[in-house]
Amino acid sequence: MEMKKIQSTCIIDDDPIFIYGTRRIMKEVDFCDNILVFNNGQDAMEGLKELTTKGEDLPEVLFLDLNMPVMDGWEFLEDFVKIPNLNGKKVIIYIISSSIDPRDLERIRNYKVVNNYILKPLSPQDLENVLKDVA
Amino acid sequence: METLPINFLIKDSPASVAIVDSNMHFISHSKTWLEEFTNGRSSIVGQSYYDVIPNTSEELRKIHRECLKGKTNVNKGHKLIHPNGTVQWLKWKINAWREEDGTIGGLIIVQEDITEEKRSEELLMKVKSVARIGGWEVDMVSNKVYWTQVTREIHEVSKDYAPNLEEGINFYKQGASRDEITHLVSRAMNDGTPWDTELQIITAKGRELWIRTKGEAEIVNGKCTRIYGTFQDIDERKRTALEYQKVSDRLAIATNAAKIGIWDYNIVDNILVWDDNMYDLYGVDQKNFIGAVEAWEACVHPDDKERSLKGVEMALAGIKEFNSEFRVIWPSGEVRHIKAQSIVKRDEEDNPLRMIGANWDITEEKNAEKKLKNLLDITSEQNNSLLNFAHIVSHNLRSHSSNLSMLAGFLDKEENEEERRNLVNMLLDASESLNETVLHLNDVVQVKAGALEEMSPVNLSKTIKDVEKNLSVLLLEKKARCTIEVPETLDVKAIPAYLDSIFLNLFTNSIKYSSQERDLDLKISASKIDDTILVTFSDNGLGIDLDKHGDKLFGMYKTFHKHKDAKGIGLFITKNQIEAMNGKIEVESNVGIGTTFKLYFQIN
Repeated sequence: MEMKKIQSTCIIDDDPIFIYGTRRIMKEVDFCDNILVFNNGQDAMEGLKELTTKGEDLPEVLFLDLNMPVMDGWEFLEDFVKIPNLNGKKVIIYIISSSIDPRDLERIRNYKVVNNYILKPLSPQDLENVLKDVA
Repeated sequence: METLPINFLIKDSPASVAIVDSNMHFISHSKTWLEEFTNGRSSIVGQSYYDVIPNTSEELRKIHRECLKGKTNVNKGHKLIHPNGTVQWLKWKINAWREEDGTIGGLIIVQEDITEEKRSEELLMKVKSVARIGGWEVDMVSNKVYWTQVTREIHEVSKDYAPNLEEGINFYKQGASRDEITHLVSRAMNDGTPWDTELQIITAKGRELWIRTKGEAEIVNGKCTRIYGTFQDIDERKRTALEYQKVSDRLAIATNAAKIGIWDYNIVDNILVWDDNMYDLYGVDQKNFIGAVEAWEACVHPDDKERSLKGVEMALAGIKEFNSEFRVIWPSGEVRHIKAQSIVKRDEEDNPLRMIGANWDITEEKNAEKKLKNLLDITSEQNNSLLNFAHIVSHNLRSHSSNLSMLAGFLDKEENEEERRNLVNMLLDASESLNETVLHLNDVVQVKAGALEEMSPVNLSKTIKDVEKNLSVLLLEKKARCTIEVPETLDVKAIPAYLDSIFLNLFTNSIKYSSQERDLDLKISASKIDDTILVTFSDNGLGIDLDKHGDKLFGMYKTFHKHKDAKGIGLFITKNQIEAMNGKIEVESNVGIGTTFKLYFQIN
């Protein structure tokens, strides 16, 4: 069965190898053509705010790393829920991290805005599951 | 009967006298009679005795009738219970008087109401019986001994028991009691010295009793004629007192053994009393002080005095009992920790009367507590480090290994040669990053392991200047100006390699995060505060938002600036190195203005 492609997605991660790998797998499973990339939470906040001020749609799915310089994933989540004009379409957020630290997993549960947690390395199966969830 | 002169005499008689005729009608009476029996009537002459005193009992009427036949009746105290229940005690003497011809003309009645006296006497008897006080008397002339009923009861002998002096003395318990009473009696007989003492007897039924015996002798012409006194059963009180004494002695032994000092403050008279243990606890000799207040004033640590006095005040005011800890300084200069607990006793109106408390030495506990807290700090610190390691392993090592496995997976399937070369390059990068992380981990482990190394005095000024020299090329590139105001004589206790590493890290951080808008300006100064040396390291660089990042500043792999070399390891290691040397590091920073680190080192 052919799944519906996602309009646009966003990767927030400081690791160039991970970004390369994710793009490659997204292409492989035909996940999405329109991929936004930010290297830390602060760049992402600025980029996404710019989209809303321009009146453009926010990406449907957001992949967020936790450990990043300047503004990490946690801080991004705090600020992200405060963006005005988040009305209309709901943004689906996946935390994607290499951490198997139980304290991190516990903490993620406290964020309602987060849909799920994907443990690195990212696999094609992970992205196919995301497509199912979104559909 | 010649009535007039007799009437005249009777009228003023001090006794209560009445003369009646054979029909019991009053012929004459004394004034006292009127007062005693007629309830305020002015004249009763000619009236019937039974009209005047209508509640005369049948018993007494019978006596009257018998006396009219010629008998005499004397009663020293007769209890009459009237129909309405009131009790009356009368004493009387009744006899007939005769006409000249010898026939009985009537009665002469001398009668007194002695209810009041009898009541008092009865009460006294009652009191004696309740208090178990008996009397005794020895007539030395006849060698007769008289015991009252209570005395007999105490001895548990029959109602008619009458001992001689020796038998009386033999009731005393053999040993101390009997020896003592023998001595007291013979001395009293000798020189009239009275006694009052508490001894033990064995009753006729074999019970051991504590009694109080009081006695005195009557001496006539140098010869003892009589000894007499009281005898009281005090067994219950005495046993209670002895038990109390035992408990009190036991408490004294216990407080002595436990080295607990007891103090007692009489608030009303403003007198403080210490037991001997108190002086021991404060390490001073009682002889050297006028009173306990002076001793306390002299010994308490000056820093604790005001707080302790305030505590006592609050206790007196009823706000909070005085349960506190303070230090005392022994004459040797040794500081001891004292724990104090007390309680305030008050009267019904809640006014404080007494304050009683205990002091004991808790110096050992305090030291142990300090040691324990230290251990706990180290343990929680080490636990923290462990969690950090766990985090590094679970996150940072995994992030590289997951990249490696992902890239290897791509490489396995990739057929395009150019893309394969690209993947191999990334594989090399990822393995290099993994290697770097392992090296960081090793650095951190080294800091922890290095804490065991011996620390030695290191010259601060020389260390800082050496680091500055090593970085001179980089500093020159930034056109940096360094102001180093560290006295050349200052040494800190440190591991030399750590001290180098700490300053190297602070310098490179200042260089790395300097502002593009101005030349780097570094100010380093040091000063001695008590037993520590404070080093202040200030720059005018980018600064860090501490409200946002403060708690993470010294964390591992935390970076706050977009700098290609930012690794988030430097300050983490710096903090660990300083703490391994028993020092600490603090930071103040303003975004766009600069950052100041404060480093505290030990001198010894």
